[in-house]
Amino acid sequence: MASESILRVSAVEKAFGGIQAVDRCSLTVLPRSITGLIGPNGAGKSTLFNIIAGLYRPDGGEIWFDGMRIDGLPPYEIVHLGLTKTWQIPHELRNLTVLENLVLAAKDNAGERLLNLFFRPLEVKRDEKQWRARAREVLKLTQLEGLANEHARTLSGGQKKLLELSRVLMSDPTLVLLDEPVAGVNPALAGSLMDLIEKLRQNGRTFFLIEHDMNVVMNRCDWVIVMHQGRRIAEGRPEAVKADPTVIESYLGG
Amino acid sequence: MASTPSSEVAKQPAAHKLPWSEIIAFAAIAAIVVAGVLAGVLAGASPQGILTNVGFYASIAIIFAILALGFNLQWGYTGLFNAGIAGFYLIGAYTMAIAITAPSPPIVIGGIPVYPGHLGGYSLPLAVGVVLAMLASGIAAAVIALPALRLRADYLAIATLAFASILQIFANNLQSVTGGSIGITGIPKPVEFQSADAPFLNAATIVGIGSLVLLFLLLLLQFMAESPWGRVLRAVREDEEATMALGKNTFNYKLQAFALGGALMGLAGALFAVTLGYVSPSSSFAPAVTFSVWVMVIVGGSGNNRGAIVGGFLIYGLEWLSVQLKDYVPIALAAGFVTIRGLLIVVGFIASISAVVLVLLSRHRPTSAWHRVMQRIQERGLARNGVIGAIALYGLGWVFVLLEQYAPGAIGDTIFYIRLMFIGVLLILLIIYRPEGILREQKRVLR
Repeated sequence: MASESILRVSAVEKAFGGIQAVDRCSLTVLPRSITGLIGPNGAGKSTLFNIIAGLYRPDGGEIWFDGMRIDGLPPYEIVHLGLTKTWQIPHELRNLTVLENLVLAAKDNAGERLLNLFFRPLEVKRDEKQWRARAREVLKLTQLEGLANEHARTLSGGQKKLLELSRVLMSDPTLVLLDEPVAGVNPALAGSLMDLIEKLRQNGRTFFLIEHDMNVVMNRCDWVIVMHQGRRIAEGRPEAVKADPTVIESYLGG
Repeated sequence: MASTPSSEVAKQPAAHKLPWSEIIAFAAIAAIVVAGVLAGVLAGASPQGILTNVGFYASIAIIFAILALGFNLQWGYTGLFNAGIAGFYLIGAYTMAIAITAPSPPIVIGGIPVYPGHLGGYSLPLAVGVVLAMLASGIAAAVIALPALRLRADYLAIATLAFASILQIFANNLQSVTGGSIGITGIPKPVEFQSADAPFLNAATIVGIGSLVLLFLLLLLQFMAESPWGRVLRAVREDEEATMALGKNTFNYKLQAFALGGALMGLAGALFAVTLGYVSPSSSFAPAVTFSVWVMVIVGGSGNNRGAIVGGFLIYGLEWLSVQLKDYVPIALAAGFVTIRGLLIVVGFIASISAVVLVLLSRHRPTSAWHRVMQRIQERGLARNGVIGAIALYGLGWVFVLLEQYAPGAIGDTIFYIRLMFIGVLLILLIIYRPEGILREQKRVLR
């Protein structure tokens, strides 16, 4: 099992003051799956995502990604290994344009190293051109191309969610953590967004997503993990989880 | 989709609009210079004296512009708040002075130490001194930043503020290195002139060299900050955590921006040492320098290199002009006082009365065309501001009357300090009406 999984979280702990946000939580995510993470508010889902992405340092436990131990690594190194996350509340770079937001998300852009500007100008020019073209392709995919040169702060809430997803696609990750990807997105767009995620999964990517929209979870995920009070309380196929009495009691309600 | 029109707008070239911000900025700077020249002419200075004076303005303004460029790189682009600009400036000035002056041993007259001497006196070429000054300030900035940049933004401000204060105290008390409160004198000029018009020629050389340096820096910074590297800096300013999650080692970028900004401040210090010919731990390196540079970057437009330069010329221009006026204003006031006072009071009185009447009229005649005009005025808050302005004018006239009666000459003496209030008012107005500065940060439209 361990060798098959792309992400393995084992006995991870994190406390904020007296609150045990994540309490010896263990779970695995299989490659090329769309795995859902559900649970009541305050269950520790977003905290767990932040720990996996390297933004918080866990108090204990181990995290393995693609055969490498990643807990304790800084977030930018984790991104370079191929693990990217989006935020529940969009973290758009407000005074940069949408296109700039995307180009910035590219992993290797020669022009981002100061010395290259002076000593490798051709490489800088080539990379920048290539990433701008790539960014425009991604924007077409997420239907934001008309806003390419608008400041990111002018986008609506739903468009900011799309921007988050677009940025993720720029870094060509193998595992994507999506924190409520369709919250605040209109139903039609949410549908096409999930179609896009499904298509990307077929290209070999893995998605691990937090979502409160049970339609999305039931129809789109092929594995669901339930968290409650910082722990994993259940997991299984969506139908099985839906019928699980502990899940109904703690989250779904009667 | 609703986005189609906006993409068309983006494709259109910028409309043929006059660059009003630039025009206003340059007009303001020109007005300051003209006012300074006029004050000199009216005070009876020689043409060459006036030119030397304008040259002094230009050279110090160039130095402040370089400080502002450094702070703009740190704060305008990267969001790092440096509260110790004066400290990095001081390091540059003293490094330059120590590197390029001839040895100056301690002076003792009749057993009493008059001058403690200072470190070095290495007589190095000017260019070497500049490089050393930039290195010293840049390294100092990096060393301060290494621990402080890992903390929250506020701590960087506290650390740099303390650093600058400590440096000023060191400069004053570390006598064997800095020459104590006397400082270091006899710093060589780029070219030594012997003739009678040496001050003028000196000012002209400094302005010439300084302009070239400033132009070069502007082009260099524009190239660096508007590159993909600069884009990461702006991303760090917007949201450091998100930038980190996009795969950037944000600490490295912050360190680079802070050290480079520090090096620019060191360069400004080196130019200052050469311009004045001496350095001392005086008001040149007081916290007020730091505050001035903040104002320059805020007024000029943070995140815009040309804005930083405009801010430097404008805000230092106000300071310089206040010194020019200090000599002239008392004479002018003595001659034209009665007229000015009378005009102010009459204009203010008429304006207040008519403004109040207009506002009242507009309330009681609801249907006329006049009413609609008044309503439009009121909607824009013009009426209210007009009343306030008119009453202020009226009050100012009376302030003049009282000052003349009870404290003759006070206006001339205080104009130097009134400038601070004036800059403060300017800053408040600017932040209310144009918070992004005179030359706002451009939107980068990528092709």
